[in-house]
Amino acid sequence: MGFLCLVAPCVAQAAGYLDELIGRSRELRLSERREWRRLMHYTDNLITPGVHSLADARRFFLAPDGKTNPQSELEATLAAFFSEVQETQETQNPQCAFIARYSWLDRELSFDPAHLPRQPCKRFREWRETLNPQGITLIFPAAFLNNPSSMYGHTLLRIDARDQNEKTRLLAYAINYAANTNETNGIAFAINGLLGGYPGMFSIMPYYLKVREYNDMENRDVWEYELDLSPEEIDRLLMHTWELGPIYFDYYFFDENCSYYLLELLEVARPDLDLTSDFRWWAIPSDTVRVVVKQKGLLKGTVYRPSNATVIHHRLGLMSPEERALVNPFARGRATTSDVAFTGLPAESQARVLEVSYDYLSYLRASGKNPVEHPEELARNLLLERSRVGGSANDPPVPVPPVRHDQGHGTSRAGIGGGRRDGLNFVELRARPAYHNLMDPEAGYVPGAQTEFFDLAVRDYSGGVGSRVEEFTPLRIVSIAPRNEFFQPLSWKIDVGWNRRRLANGAEPLVFGMSGGAGLAWTVPDTLRSKTMVYAFLESTLQANTRLENNYALGIGPSLGALVDLSGRWRAEVYVSEQSFLAGDTDTAWTAGLRQRYTLDRDWALRLDISREHEEKQSWNTVLLSLHHYF
Amino acid sequence: MRKILIAVVLSAVPALAFAQQNNIGTCGWGAKLFDGQSGVVPQVLAVTTNGTSGNQTFGITTGTSGCTQDGVVRSSWKTAMFIDGNKDRLARDMSIGNGETLDSLAHLVGVREEDRAAFSRVMQQNVSLIFPSGSTTDDSVVALKQVLRSDRELAQYAASI
Repeated sequence: MGFLCLVAPCVAQAAGYLDELIGRSRELRLSERREWRRLMHYTDNLITPGVHSLADARRFFLAPDGKTNPQSELEATLAAFFSEVQETQETQNPQCAFIARYSWLDRELSFDPAHLPRQPCKRFREWRETLNPQGITLIFPAAFLNNPSSMYGHTLLRIDARDQNEKTRLLAYAINYAANTNETNGIAFAINGLLGGYPGMFSIMPYYLKVREYNDMENRDVWEYELDLSPEEIDRLLMHTWELGPIYFDYYFFDENCSYYLLELLEVARPDLDLTSDFRWWAIPSDTVRVVVKQKGLLKGTVYRPSNATVIHHRLGLMSPEERALVNPFARGRATTSDVAFTGLPAESQARVLEVSYDYLSYLRASGKNPVEHPEELARNLLLERSRVGGSANDPPVPVPPVRHDQGHGTSRAGIGGGRRDGLNFVELRARPAYHNLMDPEAGYVPGAQTEFFDLAVRDYSGGVGSRVEEFTPLRIVSIAPRNEFFQPLSWKIDVGWNRRRLANGAEPLVFGMSGGAGLAWTVPDTLRSKTMVYAFLESTLQANTRLENNYALGIGPSLGALVDLSGRWRAEVYVSEQSFLAGDTDTAWTAGLRQRYTLDRDWALRLDISREHEEKQSWNTVLLSLHHYF
Repeated sequence: MRKILIAVVLSAVPALAFAQQNNIGTCGWGAKLFDGQSGVVPQVLAVTTNGTSGNQTFGITTGTSGCTQDGVVRSSWKTAMFIDGNKDRLARDMSIGNGETLDSLAHLVGVREEDRAAFSRVMQQNVSLIFPSGSTTDDSVVALKQVLRSDRELAQYAASI
């Protein structure tokens, strides 16, 4: 419209229309609407009245006090829409840079294009056209093998294009929110991450890059949750993603993390959803998946995408002994297709051997265990041989796990129990906010992987002892990873916390200790297919307390055990461990026991623990029966 | 809690011929990946790795960056970038004659349903040409184009690469 009138009248006219829009926005109280709150990422202040935005980039706000003042931000946004800035590769008109705000305000206020000319926003339109969206899928990569701490997880969103199907989903785009840093020092990375020291940013990339990263490089199974969003909701999500492109948020690993902001994106898409209010303090990605799944009418379907290691393990289990015996030699360049052991096999078997050998070689390469100097040549030769065999191995696909991760027990746990220890009866209360213990119901969790945070046990003893903290463990991780002729992981454990320790005079102070160990584990009797696990660790413990002789004790010793599922609900673990405290407060301590769990239902379990302990030349028994609830 | 970041530079620098033919510049891009498999200690700290660093290439609204525009792959780069990002899987699926990466490639190249079987067969027969020893991505792209061109049924699709 600019060329139709002289500059001064135009400005006056625009100012008049702006005043009118502001007036109507006040009448409608738009800045108090849920949609505006969501678009601006406003959240209630902790103590004082009012709100603040979680966005930390100055450029996200058009008003100087926009971070804390929804009304002035809304008015400044309306004013900015009158900008005549032309779009270039470097800059955008505010109507385009804040296209989700524009779209919503236009809907509420019905902008008159004669007074507020609409910008073409060519870059956004082309971007959207390339994405060609038809659906949104929430992506959840499960834990790494032998890495219980990665149960914590990660989530991303996938934009499914109109012209794709389940066979071509690799070509979709993924929206990822991540801490943007080149920090390679893990400790600095962890500390900064906990304190929000990194900018978190959204990015968009081909989904195949993420699939390769998770499935092939990190060997994590991936769950895909197809969401039921309308075209308008998908549009809002994309427009808002575009708005957030250049915006950073301070990234906090535990709460304002990848999963939290993806929930916020979904809330922008469908403002009626309330997904984030449960996660003010603590957003475990897998818990955020549960919240999404729980919403009525939001989940359309799920797809399971097994990792390379999962596929290899599955196919090794299907093989005949003759076929399996060839996999290691082929993957390590010690067999050829002219060997009699290979030429004697039917074509279907040959195809299977070559495929699994290639996948296993890929696994070895991704794990940094190259079996030969030029693995790429070996890999190429396996494929050329495979292409000559033709046909198909006709192996069934990896079965979808009957219980998804989000369908497993709740990650918080509280229990009550009673028992007898060294001649005294007691009542015990135990609670931990997260996450999974080896004795918890296993459905939906990675076998052998345990991660617990802030486990607290309090007991009230009879006989005048009274109440006391029995144990407080901020961090406990155990990874029992079975070995076989193809996978040779090291099992490991780490434990940090306070425990009761008996002294020579019979007192039992709460002693701080750190322990860790490495070990080996196998499934028996069949190392590939059995579920019963046996393990052996070598562990070391460091205890610190002023009541210990020399204020500390340093010990080392073995531990052995077996985990057996007696039925689908009943699990037992027998264990024995010994620690020789050789430095500081010297002593020989040992424990032997039997733990049992009976699953009553997904979120309820019974435990019966029996043990005999020995410290400072004294021995005693403990029996504890307890009931645990997961939520 | 050590976090190991491995810079995997997936170089997609095209052969001169390919670049000139398509009238485009170089498209170098990298991705930082976290390798959680190395040793015991790093795994403890992997609890914190729900963030990997991004870069300009996949930044939304960052304008043009080599092979991407505002984070999405330019159409002239789609096939090359797909092959580059899926080399090992694609070579595998070609040698077997089916699979997700092969389906996706067929879709990118625009192969119609009735030609899919022929496409799979020709890919299986020519996997050694498409992935020659020590090949780079641009070698593979050029070879793929030639393989399609020299097949009577599939020649029509050579132009879309």
